[in-house]
Amino acid sequence: MSDRALQDAVIRAIVDAPFRASPEWRDRKLVDPDRLERYARFVARHFYHERIVHFFKYSRALARVTGRRPEAVPRDPAFDAFLPGAVLGSRATARLVAGLVTAYVRDGGPYPAIPYLDDLLAYEEAMMVVEAGPRVWRDGTEPKGAGSGEQYPPARVEGTAFLELGHDLPAVLPQLLQPWTEVPRAPVRATRLLVARSRHGRVAVVRPDESTARVLQLADGTRTADELARVAGLGPGDLDAALQGLFELGAVRFSAGS
Amino acid sequence: MALSIGAFYNPHLGAELVQAAGIDHLAMADPPRADDRHWPAIRERYTLLLHDYLGQLSEPLDERSIQRARDLATLYRTPWVAEHFQCLHTEDGTYNLNYVFPPLYTDEFLERFVANAGVLKARLDQPLVMENIPGFFDVRASQMPEPVWLRRFFERTGTGFLLDLPHVWLEAHYQGRRPDAWLAEFPLEHVVELHVAGVETDDDLRGPWIAPAEPDDRMLEFLALALQRCPQAKAVTFDAFSPSLTADVLFRSVERIRAAL
Repeated sequence: MSDRALQDAVIRAIVDAPFRASPEWRDRKLVDPDRLERYARFVARHFYHERIVHFFKYSRALARVTGRRPEAVPRDPAFDAFLPGAVLGSRATARLVAGLVTAYVRDGGPYPAIPYLDDLLAYEEAMMVVEAGPRVWRDGTEPKGAGSGEQYPPARVEGTAFLELGHDLPAVLPQLLQPWTEVPRAPVRATRLLVARSRHGRVAVVRPDESTARVLQLADGTRTADELARVAGLGPGDLDAALQGLFELGAVRFSAGS
Repeated sequence: MALSIGAFYNPHLGAELVQAAGIDHLAMADPPRADDRHWPAIRERYTLLLHDYLGQLSEPLDERSIQRARDLATLYRTPWVAEHFQCLHTEDGTYNLNYVFPPLYTDEFLERFVANAGVLKARLDQPLVMENIPGFFDVRASQMPEPVWLRRFFERTGTGFLLDLPHVWLEAHYQGRRPDAWLAEFPLEHVVELHVAGVETDDDLRGPWIAPAEPDDRMLEFLALALQRCPQAKAVTFDAFSPSLTADVLFRSVERIRAAL
């Protein structure tokens, strides 16, 4: 095994609790297990504290109404309880931690002054979950762009999420981060949002138009671009535009099949 | 040449930093935000040091990362560019610590860092400096002590050394060694910049660790000792970058650093 591979094993042992507990790791006796466990817990708390502060910043801004600061969760016993199964950066663990945060904020309620709180928590949770998963740290071969649709069937990227909300959250979010005395209101309006992550880990939210949403729902990696256009009822130009937008967002990839 | 004493640019303290006296430089951990209204005055007023995450040099930086480093160096007009001796994500990107973490101190990693730092250095218009990263535990696969590995790296690359003193202090603590004796093993003749900050007890680690806190007298004495052994040092930076950092702590720390020297 190369030293680089060994370093990877050490990194994995820190972030992947089940691996850390496995004979595969423990039998190597590379690191003092007590020191490793202490460090792993430290890193886990740091890892999710940063993400909670970032993704739940709107709930944080509302903490003077709710009395619940999301960043308190990594110091909660409930967080400690899930650490033995945690894999930092995985979608499953992100979902668990985000669930702890939303439950913590909700439990302080009800909050009549924030009728859109459920929508907001769903939005923040989706952001955190979509951000999780392996990412590209270095560019190598560039991914195939939308022009590759004829050769490679477009496929929705795993983790890409639609949100169906009862309030127009994007209209209120910037106001929450500004100084306010009365809780800013969100218009009551059915709102669909698309949350996706680029290969490099940047999370973006857009309001998809009907054709974009339709294309994404149909892009399952088996239909070619021609087939997709036919089923979605789109002309080639409209389809290309929709695919290009989704590709840049990180919501679709062009699968070479394997 | 006078030693430059500075801190990190903490954007939430932008208003205070624009007006501050007694700070010679600011290190930049993140690019300025588009909505940072203090940034133009900060850029105008201070010498800025590029201290961002550019990439881990266990692998070659890609063209996008090198161009980003060059762009930031130009924006900041930085006298040198800093990176870390770190390897914090797996090669395939599946696992990521999101926290500084040192490489194994082996010949293979030395070759990797020497080669990749050499490529980066050749693409920069400013000198490259590299910062030591603390280990909380030893990995039995390492082949040499960290100071030996660092010395070989600096001798082969001609890059500068950004000596993080709390990192050295913490390693000495967890190895049960005297900090001054451990420090003496490092290649201090290559030091260009020093970082100093406080440490605080962490419940998970059950001991002290890096914190955005004021350095205590013991750490400042350690700084004074280190500087006597770093003949090429040009700057000392209070190493605290956190939304929880207060203006009081930042300014008092810089003042106390200056007084200690």
